[in-house]
Amino acid sequence: MKRTLFLFVALSALVLVLAGCTQDTSALESENASLQSQVSNLEAQVSTLEAQVAEQSAEMESMTMMEGSRLDAVRERGHVICASRDDVPGYGGLDAAGNNVGFDIDLCRALAAAVIGDPNAIEIRLITAAERGPTIQSGEVDMLVRTVTWTTSRDAGWGNYAQTMFYDGQGFMVREDSGVTDALDLAGATVCVTLGTTTELNLQDFSDQNGLDLTVSTFEDTDAVVAAYDAGQCDSFTNDNSQLAALRTALSNPADHVILPNTISEEPLGPVVPHGDDQWFDIVKTVMGILIYGEAYGVSQGSVPTAETGNTKVDRLLGVSGSFGQAELGLDETVAQDVLNAVGNYGEIYSRHLGPDGINLPREGGRNALWANAPCTDCPKGGQIYSAPLR
Amino acid sequence: MVSAARILTYQGIPVWRHVQVIQWAAQIISSIVVVALVVWFFTNISGAIQEREIPYGFSFLSREYQTPIGEHFLPYESSDTFLYALFVGITNTAIVAVAGVFLATALGIFIGVSRLSTNWIVAKLAMVYIEFFRNVPLLVQLFFWFYIVLELPGVRESIVIADVLYLSNRGFSMPWPKATDYPVALIWLGLAVVAIVAGALVYRWRDRMEERTGQSSYPLIYGLLVAVVIGAAAWLVLSFASGASPFYVSVPEPQGRFGNIVGGFTARAGLLVLLIGLVMYTASFIAEIVRAGIQSVGRGQTEAARALGLSPMNTLRNVTFPQALRVIIPPLISQFLNLTKNSSLGGAVAYSDLFNIAITMTQTAPSVSIFMLIMASYLAMSLTWSLIGNLYNRQIRFVGG
Repeated sequence: MKRTLFLFVALSALVLVLAGCTQDTSALESENASLQSQVSNLEAQVSTLEAQVAEQSAEMESMTMMEGSRLDAVRERGHVICASRDDVPGYGGLDAAGNNVGFDIDLCRALAAAVIGDPNAIEIRLITAAERGPTIQSGEVDMLVRTVTWTTSRDAGWGNYAQTMFYDGQGFMVREDSGVTDALDLAGATVCVTLGTTTELNLQDFSDQNGLDLTVSTFEDTDAVVAAYDAGQCDSFTNDNSQLAALRTALSNPADHVILPNTISEEPLGPVVPHGDDQWFDIVKTVMGILIYGEAYGVSQGSVPTAETGNTKVDRLLGVSGSFGQAELGLDETVAQDVLNAVGNYGEIYSRHLGPDGINLPREGGRNALWANAPCTDCPKGGQIYSAPLR
Repeated sequence: MVSAARILTYQGIPVWRHVQVIQWAAQIISSIVVVALVVWFFTNISGAIQEREIPYGFSFLSREYQTPIGEHFLPYESSDTFLYALFVGITNTAIVAVAGVFLATALGIFIGVSRLSTNWIVAKLAMVYIEFFRNVPLLVQLFFWFYIVLELPGVRESIVIADVLYLSNRGFSMPWPKATDYPVALIWLGLAVVAIVAGALVYRWRDRMEERTGQSSYPLIYGLLVAVVIGAAAWLVLSFASGASPFYVSVPEPQGRFGNIVGGFTARAGLLVLLIGLVMYTASFIAEIVRAGIQSVGRGQTEAARALGLSPMNTLRNVTFPQALRVIIPPLISQFLNLTKNSSLGGAVAYSDLFNIAITMTQTAPSVSIFMLIMASYLAMSLTWSLIGNLYNRQIRFVGG
């Protein structure tokens, strides 16, 4: 240590002494002068370089500003990244060929069709329920569509909810031979639930409010919840009613199980986008609007008109006359044609995955019917599915 | 002082090849790199937090949690605060970690010694055990045990042993002492500690006497006797004074429409699966550490012990193993740390450990803050293990010599 210190002091002293020597020696004065001129030369070069660097960093900054726009980032990347699931038929499940398909997946495909023009330009990140918050907060995905319930604290903390695409409510499934016919009969029961969901929170409220003293088993994966319930590790399984219906088909003997009539919560489900990019938020809202509007105005997949139809609202939707703000959103004039050709309208997506061709949830007369079929806005169908006017 | 002449006439190794200069330069450069990385890390986080409006802060800790916790050893109500819920999670993890460490160490030593057995079948079985459990991912093993436990009969068809033990796919229930009256129970527990201390002192006294006189003085018997007598006397006095014994035994019993087991202590399926998985997995590593430790002791030690007429068991217990401990302890501590950290996989099998309680909190509280708390908690637990291990290690290292 002492030696090292000595060496350091010695080295620095050496440098000083040498520098002093050069100054003192008159024979080296001329050389000194030439060196000085070189130094000033170099200084000039440095200042020009500095100016260049400043210019470049300004350029970089403007580039990062551009990168700040998620739309440009997505187009640059060439695909949309959505966080979703593959474990619940209807919303996001695997078909016979092993493809990830479902209602939530189609919403992602619609977005890809709108901003890139290709519904297959998507990347699905499979995440657990508990990972949803951190995933969307980090901004690593462009959209979160994983049966996410809209709550105010999530809206404040996670990201922006674009539009409710499905109205659900929480229910309970029990074995038929348990004799339970009402959720209030569940006192003392063990209930299985997925970790990190509103379902888990509502279950606590319901148990406290009615003094049911429920025992809760929380699993990270829905698959494990289903396996545990199926093997009788829990007396009841709670989830959104539509998911219960879908997951009942995965049980070893679906007919032995009933879904109780009680609905204990409101679960409005819809896509979420990261905070901090209004344009992207508006794009997602608009794409969801296009799907609903498409159904309301009878524009369906495979028969999307490309020329004027005479109906001003349809023409505006399809971009053949007028505008609903495509330019401001950075979208093509004919974006609705791309979207509806790629995935169909809301009703078609619904019947494909949640309706008769999917898990067969009733729609007519329920909350997930359209509010009204345009152009007859005065003859309501009673549903809650409704879009802001596209104009 | 350094003479200037010495510097000016320096004719040693060129500076750039001087080992001390190189070392200093390396130190300085690496510390600059480390500082730069840390600074970059923090600016990146704070930048991202601002840019994406990610909520941040710790005020949530005093809010009501209002979320269920499946398994908890401390009393828990949904009206308790986030801070308390975190504490419940920490105790849940600590219980699995401590129980797991004890069981894994016992099993690991057993398997490790068996691995060196001269009995061919025992040695090979131990080898197969080690190679299987060491080489299959822990999460896969957990799911394996999870499905095995699911195959147990349902709660209504529980396997009942002697009317007091219940085993079903919901867990294992057994009789458990419960306090009749908390103050009385606490007084007795205090006296029990006194009894154990007294017993230990007597043990030491008799042990020293044995060493000094060379005659059998039965230290263990004397020690136990003193402890039991004091404990029993305290129990009787307290029972008479308060009119009831300090503790009673709560016997598990199926109750209600669903036949769930009430009373006693129930290790729920999640705890069982996690504990079995962690113990089996960690024991395979500990077994190898034990084997390496035993093999590191010179062969001469064993031969000398055998020559003195010690039996193989005595040789292992009194000669080989104590020396092997010095090699075993440091890697063993890191296995304890691994076990503690691996318990965060509990969520997969419905055990509410710290990580899974905390990750559930991200629903209703800022996740950046929660992840910081998670990291701090695991760090604290790991450092505690290290501290305990290092203290023990200091005790058993070579003295003098």
